[in-house]
Amino acid sequence: MRKLIILSAPLALLAAPAMAQTAVDGTVDINGSVAGRCMFIVPNKTISLGEISLASNGKLDVSKVNGRSETLTGWCNNTTAAMTVTATQLTNATTAPTGFDNRVDYTATAVTGSTSANDSSVTAGAGSASSVGLFSGDIVVTLSNASTPNNGLMVAGTYNGNVVVTLTPTVTVGG
Amino acid sequence: MNCKYGLALIALVALPATAAAQSTESGTVDVVGTVRSICILGDPTSALVDLGQLSAASGPRTGRVAVIPPQTVTLPGSFCNFAGSAVSISATALTAADATNPQAGFARAVNYTATATGWAAGASLATTGAARDGTGPTAEGTGATQPLPQVADISLTLSSFTAPGDQILVSGNYSGNVIVTLGPAIAGGEN
Repeated sequence: MRKLIILSAPLALLAAPAMAQTAVDGTVDINGSVAGRCMFIVPNKTISLGEISLASNGKLDVSKVNGRSETLTGWCNNTTAAMTVTATQLTNATTAPTGFDNRVDYTATAVTGSTSANDSSVTAGAGSASSVGLFSGDIVVTLSNASTPNNGLMVAGTYNGNVVVTLTPTVTVGG
Repeated sequence: MNCKYGLALIALVALPATAAAQSTESGTVDVVGTVRSICILGDPTSALVDLGQLSAASGPRTGRVAVIPPQTVTLPGSFCNFAGSAVSISATALTAADATNPQAGFARAVNYTATATGWAAGASLATTGAARDGTGPTAEGTGATQPLPQVADISLTLSSFTAPGDQILVSGNYSGNVIVTLGPAIAGGEN
């Protein structure tokens, strides 16, 4: 007796075992930086004191100076930014003879948020720096402690001074 | 295919310059004030000068103006806070309260010289020249210009008391006054 044995072979050609293939990546890194910076949005204001002498005795009327304020606006984007104030006394160009004064000194205080810096015009130069960090908003400048060198009579005329608020971003290294 | 692992790296890096100096920013609050031009006269040490008896009570000059010593009043701490000020005086002779025109030989006026010193070089002075009937009693004068702001005690002295024509003074109360003005000098106003 004969038996038929069929050996079947797969008709389909199986794909060869998957060859190991390596994915290839190309990478574009994108870096940038923002420099530490400070900027004033409102960089100038004027405090007009008006008449600063007392009609009764011709001496400085401190009430015309103390408490007067104006508001600058600015920002710094650096956590290590600092603020300083430089107050320059009010002066009149006329020479003051004995008994008179042609200079008004005061203290200027700049406040933004919870940070303040101040300077007295009695001594030249800026006051101590205060760390202001990142902030954006008002910087209120207020005058106080007005005085004249000799508590003398005020020479007539116009008196000019100013308060300079300086914002300084710190130096950074790397990106 | 012989594939090799490859890496293409394109780095876009914006590095800030190392330790780059960063500029500061400043805001400025200008402070402006004014002081008006003013002069203030100190309160006179005596606002009333009482000369007492004006006529001699005895001797050859009885009834005529007596020898009256100079009278000085001080205005302490007077000041002007500007350059170019002066003291002016307006002096009015002493005249009798009774305005009746006196008879011949009599006078109802006592003249004098008012002198203010201590402000500028020289003095401000005015000498009254009232007639015996009391008319024309007022005289004015302005001193030199003070070229600087000045604070000083101004002394006002009344002296040289005379009667017009040295005539006999009519009886009664006599009064006059001196007005001292401290203010800006007027060009050509000096006496």
